[in-house]
Amino acid sequence: MQNILLLTLLLPTLAVLVVYLTGKKSAKTAAILVALIALADIALLSTTVPVVLESAEHKYVESYYWIPVLGSSFTLFVDGISLSMAIITLILILAAALFSVNYMQEKKGLAEYYALLMLLSIGLVGVFITSNLMLFYFCWELMLVPTYFIIGGWGYKEPYRAAFKFFIFTHAGAVFVLLGIGAIFMVTGDLDMFQAQTALMTAQPDLVKWILLSLTTGFAVKMAVVPVHMWLPDAHSEAPAPMSALLSGVIIGAGAYAILRVSLGTVFPAIMATDFGNQFLHGLAVFGVISAFFGSLIALVENDIKRVIAYSSIAHMGYVLFGLSLFPFQEAMAGTVLHLVNHAVSKGLLFLSAGAVMKQLGIRDIREMGGLAGQMPVTATSSTTSALSIGGVPPFACFISEFLIFVGAFQTINNDNFYLLPTALMLLATVLSLAYALRYIRHIFLGPTKLKEAKEVPLFMKCAMITLVAFVIVLGIWPTFFLHLITTVNFV
Amino acid sequence: MIEVLDVSLPIISFVLFSLLTIPVVKAIRKRKSKTTVLTIGWFLIVFITAAVTVANLAVKYYGEPSPQPFLNITLASEMFAIFSSTFMIDAISIYMAIIFTIVGAVTFLYSIFYINLSERPSERYYSVMLIIIGCIIGTAFSGDLLTLFIFWEASAAGSSFLMLYRKTPRSLHATLKYLVMIIIASAFIVYGLSIVYGITGTLNFWAVKQALIVLEDKHLLAIAFIFIAAGYAIEAAVVPFHMWLPDAYTAAPASSSAFLSALIDQGSYYVLLRVFIYILTPPTVLEWTVMLAVFSALTMIVGNLLALAQENVKRLIANVCIADVGYNLVAITSVTPLGIMGNLYFFLIGGITTALSFMALGILNRMGFETLDDFSGVGRRMPFTSLALLLGIFSFAGVPPLAGFIAKYLVFTAAIEANLSWLAVIGVLTSIIQAAYLLRLINYMYAKTPQEETKIKEPKKLLVPIFILVAAIIILGVYPTIVLNLIEPVIQQLPFIP
Repeated sequence: MQNILLLTLLLPTLAVLVVYLTGKKSAKTAAILVALIALADIALLSTTVPVVLESAEHKYVESYYWIPVLGSSFTLFVDGISLSMAIITLILILAAALFSVNYMQEKKGLAEYYALLMLLSIGLVGVFITSNLMLFYFCWELMLVPTYFIIGGWGYKEPYRAAFKFFIFTHAGAVFVLLGIGAIFMVTGDLDMFQAQTALMTAQPDLVKWILLSLTTGFAVKMAVVPVHMWLPDAHSEAPAPMSALLSGVIIGAGAYAILRVSLGTVFPAIMATDFGNQFLHGLAVFGVISAFFGSLIALVENDIKRVIAYSSIAHMGYVLFGLSLFPFQEAMAGTVLHLVNHAVSKGLLFLSAGAVMKQLGIRDIREMGGLAGQMPVTATSSTTSALSIGGVPPFACFISEFLIFVGAFQTINNDNFYLLPTALMLLATVLSLAYALRYIRHIFLGPTKLKEAKEVPLFMKCAMITLVAFVIVLGIWPTFFLHLITTVNFV
Repeated sequence: MIEVLDVSLPIISFVLFSLLTIPVVKAIRKRKSKTTVLTIGWFLIVFITAAVTVANLAVKYYGEPSPQPFLNITLASEMFAIFSSTFMIDAISIYMAIIFTIVGAVTFLYSIFYINLSERPSERYYSVMLIIIGCIIGTAFSGDLLTLFIFWEASAAGSSFLMLYRKTPRSLHATLKYLVMIIIASAFIVYGLSIVYGITGTLNFWAVKQALIVLEDKHLLAIAFIFIAAGYAIEAAVVPFHMWLPDAYTAAPASSSAFLSALIDQGSYYVLLRVFIYILTPPTVLEWTVMLAVFSALTMIVGNLLALAQENVKRLIANVCIADVGYNLVAITSVTPLGIMGNLYFFLIGGITTALSFMALGILNRMGFETLDDFSGVGRRMPFTSLALLLGIFSFAGVPPLAGFIAKYLVFTAAIEANLSWLAVIGVLTSIIQAAYLLRLINYMYAKTPQEETKIKEPKKLLVPIFILVAAIIILGVYPTIVLNLIEPVIQQLPFIP
């Protein structure tokens, strides 16, 4: 097959209309259709796994005619990193669609909801599997509109307010990305990430500096790094649970991926050897530490069930940013990407189970809950699994990747003394994250039973959560598959 | 070989048909049945004929690659050539003629349905529209400053009839404002042209240019430039000369606003581009980039800030038009091939998007929705119209995969290329403001609860031209190569500017 990657994008594109029309008749069928398409996409993508693992370049590339005048061809590619991210994204979309069957049951306009979910999946997968910056930006912004409408249309409290905040913040970030991309095109005349990397080597360092800063600022907004995180707590907590899972799992992950791929992978090599290069990495580390502490500390005192998780996302993006600052060490990079994958599954699961609790109880304050473990065993198990994973407890997923990041950090300390303090602070932050994870579980599931009438969630929600529980445990015990894929990519 | 007839045929056909339209449409109106079908049939004939003449010209032009890319065609023979009007054909004028014809046809289709809805539909409205299309194509083909002036003023003055169509006090007031402004503008331009003629002894584009390049004392030229620039800036609604635009577009019926924003606006940008880039080329002739950059920044900022404070939705979109002028000026200011490409793409996309928004607003206004509060929950009551408006809005905001994104991308990149990064940053920041107030409108349309829940029947006929334009912005956004290939010859010809 020659057009596998094109098909992975075309399939959901064509499906949008079908999903919409099916949804008009039966919302359940539409949800299952979305899940099936995600499954089909996973199948399509996995056919490229052998190529990525075995070929000499560890890449699989397809290229089509698009806008030659602007140096853009419709280039789709996968390497280990993008393949891992794309697969995990599709798994989350699958889980979100299944979860929505019961979760969204009473809501109106579900045809639109599932069509938007399908549309979102195009943008999300597209971001990870293209190497053309123009196409990358297309997909980057394609995430925005469906997310806006899903949060606004089916969220809680004042949903359009949160959605508005989300849209303006991330769009403002995106225009800075656009500025950076335009400058790259102007300097190199090419928008392919890998060719631009070579061409930028000979460019003026001053200009490259600005390009790097502009791009990284833009991506950092999506990644919700402190101090541009303000959109995240609102958007994550007001969105419907499946959307929160996607937002926190992969959309902010896409920001981190973009920093790795575009800022660090394409632009950074041109000024790696200069002083500014070092300062830039140190800057990333500092912002990483700040985000980790800020997020963890607020998560420790927050009482709204979803806001706790939202702030923990900020904290975890802090870890990821810290990991990125160790560029280009192999262990650290592998650990960072693996953390993105693990965090996506764990946080997705945590948001889904929080949604399950909210749906069954109708309240959001964790102080009013308690003792739910007996009444909602499946939800309790999945919450505990994911919360412990977020807290960095072995044998759950996030432990192994955090461990790898720290291994990378210790190696870096050998060369650069600066990292001593940030690494020590990061270790402290992991303790905090365990603290809020345990607090979360204790308040909701342990202690005396306060709400007698709570019942276990329906079938589809259980299925979605159990699938992700399996992933969290398997990825914790046997991370080899993704590690193999990720380590095929070499940044040096 | 391209003859005078080939060039003038598109203009002649529009003007001729415009004269024929009045008796023909009157005759059709007298019949009892099938009047709409017959009217559409008649205008189909008009536009197909015009399209054939334009296509004939394009095919002939690209058919024989002539060594001289700028084809000068004089109406009179050698001896009187100096007094004669001149046509000039190059890639850019052909591109403009093509898009004027196509966009004109779609907005015309909307006007047919829209004007028919009013109490006393008038065939003169169609006639004026056709004449304007003819004149504006004439503007694109002009080869000397005087011909350009005549055709352009004719279309600008003609458009006042379209604004006046409703004959309400408000539209009278707005039209008067517009007329006064363009009369002042044309006085400025004539004064400037007379100085240019005094310096160079000719008005032909290339002759003027050759004379100006070797000109040593440029003080007088600078004065002439200020007058000409001010004149054309008034007509393009560059801040601080923008006051007429919101009034005029708000008071005019929606079909007129759509037509004006799609054709007259594009025409005014084209005139600016032609005069500034092709004749007063910096830096060989005159260095005006910094001055224009300041005005461009001002236009983007003021246009967007005015829109931010707007409660009336139609006025809001009219202010977006002003902001669009600013974005176009960014591209003109950059004086790079990329900028020209961005400009030509922006003409088309900006025109289509504003036309589309005005058309959708036309439907909503007919239902009595005027202010943001009226728009509460309209998304659920009129799903199709709202969807079209929504896509138009996202295209304005530069959200891919809609066409507005590529246009903005080209414009900003051109500014960076021309070492005007500060302008690009202002452009980017103002487009965030733009996104904010446009999103506020969407917020009203989809988030607020409407006063009543009943669905409103949407006029299907009016939705046809709207969705043609919606399809255009989606297709041109995903695959802009269609238009960029048409623009590429223009870029190839730029090095030929002496």
